[in-house]
Amino acid sequence: MSARNRELLGLIPASLLVTAGFAGVFIQRSNVLSNVSLTYGAIFLGLCVAGHVFIRITLPHADPYMFPLVALLASFGIVMVYRISATDARQQAQWFVLGLVLFAVTVIVFRDYRKLEQYRYIIAFVSLGLLLLPRLPGIGYQANGAYLGVRIPGVFVFQPTEFAKIGFVVFLASYLRDTRQVMVMGARRILGVTIPPLKHFGPVVVIWGIGMLILITLHDIGSSLMFYGGLLAVLYVATDRLSFVVVGLLAFGLGAWYLGTHIPHVHDRVEAWLHPLDPTLYARPGGSFQVANSMFAQAAGGMFGQGFGQATLTVPGSHPVAYLLPAPQTDMIYAVITDELGLFGGVAVILTYLLFVARGFKTALLARDSFSTLLAAGLSAVFALQVFVIVGGVTRVIPLTGVTLPFISYGGSSIVANFVLLALLLLISDRARQAT
Amino acid sequence: MLEPVSVGLKFGFLAVLYLFLLWVVRSALKDLRRGRGGVVVSDEAPAADATGMYSAASGLGELDDAFEPRLMVDRALGHEPGVAYDLSDGATLGRGDVEIQLEDPFASSRHARISRQGHVIVIEDLGSTNGTYLNEQPLTGPQPLHSGDRIRIGDSEFSYLQ
Repeated sequence: MSARNRELLGLIPASLLVTAGFAGVFIQRSNVLSNVSLTYGAIFLGLCVAGHVFIRITLPHADPYMFPLVALLASFGIVMVYRISATDARQQAQWFVLGLVLFAVTVIVFRDYRKLEQYRYIIAFVSLGLLLLPRLPGIGYQANGAYLGVRIPGVFVFQPTEFAKIGFVVFLASYLRDTRQVMVMGARRILGVTIPPLKHFGPVVVIWGIGMLILITLHDIGSSLMFYGGLLAVLYVATDRLSFVVVGLLAFGLGAWYLGTHIPHVHDRVEAWLHPLDPTLYARPGGSFQVANSMFAQAAGGMFGQGFGQATLTVPGSHPVAYLLPAPQTDMIYAVITDELGLFGGVAVILTYLLFVARGFKTALLARDSFSTLLAAGLSAVFALQVFVIVGGVTRVIPLTGVTLPFISYGGSSIVANFVLLALLLLISDRARQAT
Repeated sequence: MLEPVSVGLKFGFLAVLYLFLLWVVRSALKDLRRGRGGVVVSDEAPAADATGMYSAASGLGELDDAFEPRLMVDRALGHEPGVAYDLSDGATLGRGDVEIQLEDPFASSRHARISRQGHVIVIEDLGSTNGTYLNEQPLTGPQPLHSGDRIRIGDSEFSYLQ
């Protein structure tokens, strides 16, 4: 079976999931088995097939599994967001369409994505600007103590970090393509560890600075970990020097520890992470309420979950509606999935991400030139870390931070930005697989 | 009333989900196995083939007729891999206005010269900033080339064939 036909086949399960999911939610909500769920499934399939036809025409050699995996994640997203709030789901569907359109635009405009290299400094500065945007008075706003969003009242709200992550990876990939050999040359080996000359740690210091800057400006450990880890991954792939990673992680740990104890908001998050069930912390505004309730919700799911629409998300009988699980459609969506589909559902979501990232790294391996390799590896790493940061936060592996679960969480910036990421990966994959 | 349907839908959802993931893993594994074979063939075989063939030819023909020094592109920005440049009259490599132009950011404008001295082809670095590598060893002075030698300038790689 040809690669493109395999892709088409892979879209069928995703739309089946949309149908089954909506049917489940409808039954729970109004006790009817409505054929509207079939319509939704069909519309979803139609959109995915449109995307597929576009890929078939423009990227005939691209990886056949990435798009179906994304469709699967999107189907999860649309069902779960609908289950939480029907109006949000309508917007989510619009953003999915907008994401597909932007995917197509990216593929057409950056057909030769290597020309991105020529604009690397512009891209770097724009990304840096995007990161600082939420702190600008008037348009920036604070949500739960972290500065992640930009709001122009009445026009739109968006999260610039979602786009900045792609920009930074593009910049670093093109920068290191030029300098990686210089960085490796002149290295000394001490006790079996390669120590490059001190001056070549410059880029590491710059990356570290970016990570710390994010922590200081956004008050958000998760985002800075995502950026920093992604950039460190590109550095490691470029130089093959474990010493950079070790030194980099130590430096990050030190910086994060210092800032974590000195920025009150970050400190609160760490405290909530360490002692979620402490009664005083639980009762305090901005305390451990969210983390603790997320754990309760996941525990309630058991092995196979309570079923669609059965999780208790709001305090019964409360007016106005009080959420038991704050931000269920964005940060906490993984907890809702685990609650309704159980451990099996949650693991399936993580597996889907794992497979997607594996395809990304495979693309990096197949790519012929170093810019493509670094770009594909960096984008995959940043994507993987984003999933780690939010799933890790929800499951209390690391302190919880407000990062979206790519393609699943409710949120326009996240969906659109990740479709751009997908477009870049497929472009690299198309070029790489064409050659072999 | 519709409880069994609801439960059925949930398990159906999970079943479809896992079957799909299994399918991706299975075909990805197949892809991986085939990919490994493919890479080995495309990476190693042509080089081994070419060098084998030409070293045999140069052994038989004793230079005069079969002596066709060429520089084959393995990997270089702006050059098709597999294309070979004739070196019978020598050539200069670099980023500037020279015989073999490199788009490599590591290359100097006049980076290295390959010249013919009778039946010997010699490569020499022209004082480039980032150096020329012959079989991954930095060039210090003029060096004779042997069939199958690999020349690297920055990210661009070539094989010498004769």
